[in-house]
Amino acid sequence: MRRKLLIMSIISLILMSGCWDKEEIEQRLFVTDIGIDLNEEAKGSDVDRLIVTYQYPNINAIGKNATEEQRTYLISTISSSIFQAGREFRNRVPFPFYYKHVKVLIVGESLLKEEELVRQILDELNRDTKTNKKIMILVAEGKARDILQANYSEDQHTDGVIYSSVRDNRSSARFTPKTLTDFISDFDISNTTIVPRIILENGKFKISGGCIIKNYKFLEWVDEKENRVINFMNGEVNLETIDVVHNDDLIIYTIIRGDTKKDAYIENGVKASINVEIEGYLQGYTMNDKKTAYDNKVLLEMENTIEKEIKAEMEKTIDKLQEINADIIGIGEHMSKFHPRDWEKIQDSWDNIFPEIEFDVTVNVHIRRTGLTK
Amino acid sequence: MQRNTISNQHIKALLVTTIIGVGMLSLPSELAMILENDGWIAIILAGLMLIPFLIIIDKLFSMFPNKSIFEIGREVMGPTIFGIILIIQAIYTIIVLAYTVRIFGEVIKVYILETTPIEVIIITMLLATAYLSRSKIEVLGRMAVMIYPIIIGLVVFLLAVTLPDMDYTNIFPIFNADYKQLPRGIMTAVFSYTGYEIIFLCYNYSDDNKNTLKYVLRGLIVVTCVYLIVFFTSLSSFGIYQLKREIWPSVAVVKEVNLPGYFLENLDGIMLAIWVIAIYASLTSIFYIGGAVLSNISKTKTHELFILPLIPIIYTVALLPDNLVQTNEIMARIISYAAIIARVILPIIIFISAIIRKRRSRA
Repeated sequence: MRRKLLIMSIISLILMSGCWDKEEIEQRLFVTDIGIDLNEEAKGSDVDRLIVTYQYPNINAIGKNATEEQRTYLISTISSSIFQAGREFRNRVPFPFYYKHVKVLIVGESLLKEEELVRQILDELNRDTKTNKKIMILVAEGKARDILQANYSEDQHTDGVIYSSVRDNRSSARFTPKTLTDFISDFDISNTTIVPRIILENGKFKISGGCIIKNYKFLEWVDEKENRVINFMNGEVNLETIDVVHNDDLIIYTIIRGDTKKDAYIENGVKASINVEIEGYLQGYTMNDKKTAYDNKVLLEMENTIEKEIKAEMEKTIDKLQEINADIIGIGEHMSKFHPRDWEKIQDSWDNIFPEIEFDVTVNVHIRRTGLTK
Repeated sequence: MQRNTISNQHIKALLVTTIIGVGMLSLPSELAMILENDGWIAIILAGLMLIPFLIIIDKLFSMFPNKSIFEIGREVMGPTIFGIILIIQAIYTIIVLAYTVRIFGEVIKVYILETTPIEVIIITMLLATAYLSRSKIEVLGRMAVMIYPIIIGLVVFLLAVTLPDMDYTNIFPIFNADYKQLPRGIMTAVFSYTGYEIIFLCYNYSDDNKNTLKYVLRGLIVVTCVYLIVFFTSLSSFGIYQLKREIWPSVAVVKEVNLPGYFLENLDGIMLAIWVIAIYASLTSIFYIGGAVLSNISKTKTHELFILPLIPIIYTVALLPDNLVQTNEIMARIISYAAIIARVILPIIIFISAIIRKRRSRA
């Protein structure tokens, strides 16, 4: 009995250690960034229409005892889909790819002209079991591959540089970070969405403004200022600084928080009202003995000036949105959620209705603090 | 010492742990397909619909104190008819087990063990389940009491991680669904209450039969609340369109989460690890029912005899459907119809014949 037990435990030592199919972390390639461009040469054919670029960190170059110099690798091929590209790369790389930590998907501008391809890519990513649905989506002005190439040599940490910039600038209102799930549900709800634009500037990438996509196709670029007020109107008022000229002096106003209320109703055509409340503090004024911000009257005047400035920007942006017919400020969404009966009537002709909507924009700015000095 | 009685607290825990299982994962999306944003109405109505049956069962057991459902059934309906009902019940139980374990295998394969064959996942789960199912109801009750807080923890976890990123306006518009679809919605929701049959078996073991109904109803409320929370979290995180697209929204919703500080990602592993325990509890109870029913058909003393021989049968049935779509279409349909017999008609017939029998004996 004792001997049997001994033999059994020895056998279990061998069999139950669980090491027989272990995989070291160095033997996995964690893709962090994926770039997709249109393969112009395959025009007209159904397969191989994409140029897929993977970027993955060199695990041996991370940490204190890094043994290798090169921080990241970049690899790119012509393929029909994102994951098929991974199979094709297998002839060129020593280890299999892992997609659990994909953080960024950069879509080349040219690809957004092909609706079918965009739909395919989105379905593939949404269906896949391993990818995180929090992938950040960006649109490259130019080629996605060039942008990945540009940040290729830069200092790299595991998350990827582009992801860190998008993520950490969550407190910035100059672009709208968009995850895969947000991206897809935007299309579900209003058929339009806005994603950050990434451009090359002096050989370095820069995230600036946004790209409006409608019906899975490129529609229009918007610049940082427009993107900022679009965010305000969507209730995403974050840390942001605004500079306005007040009585010939430049004042810098920092927003710390805000709140947006929307309403839309039918009354001789559709009318919408947007009410933005902004709170913040005075960041900078002017060093002048005769001028002080420590005076309620002055503060109220300043608030007025800022309100006017933001309101003007908003109205300009709304005009532009109505002109290109892109409802990214969620008026249709609001109606479908809070006035479902009315929405059913106008749902089908929304594309004709949106440019005609009368907007009523109100902005309320509060300067709560003036800093340390008077 | 084996007392072989269980407390009402145990019955409540048994009820909750048995019902909450695979249904929890797909329920929100299936209801959203039928009733759009108003799926929660079906959850509440399905829960309310069960209350009369629970009262009937309570009445039945108070008419025949200290008798098991099998003794009552045989007494009021005669051995032949009741035998047929038991056979239907046994087949139904086997299909429910096969369905549950198959879905379990599919989910585990997709999310956690990608390279493990599904056969291995199923057979290991069945073996682990069989071990506990061979015990007496009292042991099952104690196990349920241990697992109960884990299930509540699972829901709290789900709520806690999804709450920060939720867009609660997604639950609007409320009361805007097509109410002709409501019966279909309720059928789907009732399907997720599979497993409440366990109280047929444990009712007469209760040490305080007067208050059992109160505890059972409390258990039902807990289950309904859990389903409501799962429905609302996945609806408000996904929005209605994406919710319809997902197969198992309750797990997928956790994949959307990034904890503050980003120190943990891909929380689906944690969620599923807890969920496995919930499935384990629900499988054991249903397995126990299967063993008990079979042992009554063949009039053996214990139910343990039938647990191990059931494993190959369940395994085979579980692997019959070619793919997930078939599993959900065919098996779920069979279960829905069989469930009407097993849960709706059975208690009513027994109850009515019991009343007739009583009247006759009095006259």
